[in-house]
Amino acid sequence: MQLGRVIGTATSTVKHPTFQGERLLVVQLELASGNPDGEPVLAFDRLGAGRGDRVLVTNDGLALQEQLGRTTPGRWSVMGLPDHG
Amino acid sequence: MFVARVTGSVVATQKLASMTGHKLLTVEPYRVDEKSRDRLVPTGRTFVVVDTLGAGIDEMVLICQGSSARLTPETEKLPIDAVIIGLVDTVDIGGKTIFSNRNNDQS
Amino acid sequence: MRIAEVIGRVTLSRAHPSLKGSRFLIALPMPLEALVEGSVKRGEEVITYDNLGAGVGALIGLSEGREAANPFGKTKTPIDAYCACLIDKLYF
Repeated sequence: MQLGRVIGTATSTVKHPTFQGERLLVVQLELASGNPDGEPVLAFDRLGAGRGDRVLVTNDGLALQEQLGRTTPGRWSVMGLPDHG
Repeated sequence: MFVARVTGSVVATQKLASMTGHKLLTVEPYRVDEKSRDRLVPTGRTFVVVDTLGAGIDEMVLICQGSSARLTPETEKLPIDAVIIGLVDTVDIGGKTIFSNRNNDQS
Repeated sequence: MRIAEVIGRVTLSRAHPSLKGSRFLIALPMPLEALVEGSVKRGEEVITYDNLGAGVGALIGLSEGREAANPFGKTKTPIDAYCACLIDKLYF
């Protein structure tokens, strides 16, 4: 798991069928210093996180497969919003 | 995946039994020139890959790496992490062909 | 998934039987400054499988690693990068 900041949201019409009806957030993962760790990732969110929120994200593909189906090519998903963001 | 040029082969008499009969090649990844985007440039790195397609020396190939490399009938039981999945014909950037197998001037 | 910009494509003269007729794109991952400030900086290129018909200039959701092969289900397909969605719009 990693901590990151929601920097935006993405919309998509043409997409893998398992993405239908799901919210996609643009999340910048952070280093210990708070600086960006790599390129931003697209993370699935069912918790209602919004822009500016600090989020706990997991890259456990299996967790997402349980929600979206086994054939989903997605990997990152929001698993929590830290109380002290 | 990434594009790479075949640079040689690896022969190992002493090896894991499962690897018997599998052809191993060395490849050098190439990438689109960052600034001009009008040619492929070598990266200086090298990988050993399994070849199931009969690639030749200097040929440009497409490589799949990681655990996905085992997702073929030929490689599913092998302890490998990179496999050739295609022989490159052309590389086009913005509609312009910057590499063609037919007039290979990259080497 | 990372967000990547499509800049071109790769065609094959011969492909693994599981990938006959497949389409491959050249995609460059978008760093924060490219997404937010319009910087020309890009990440290291990735060749990705595509069956959504992404064209040059499109922004895509780039699935990488073992998850990239999930859409093929039980059909063993050696793919480590998959164009999972075409991005209509990003809101910052």
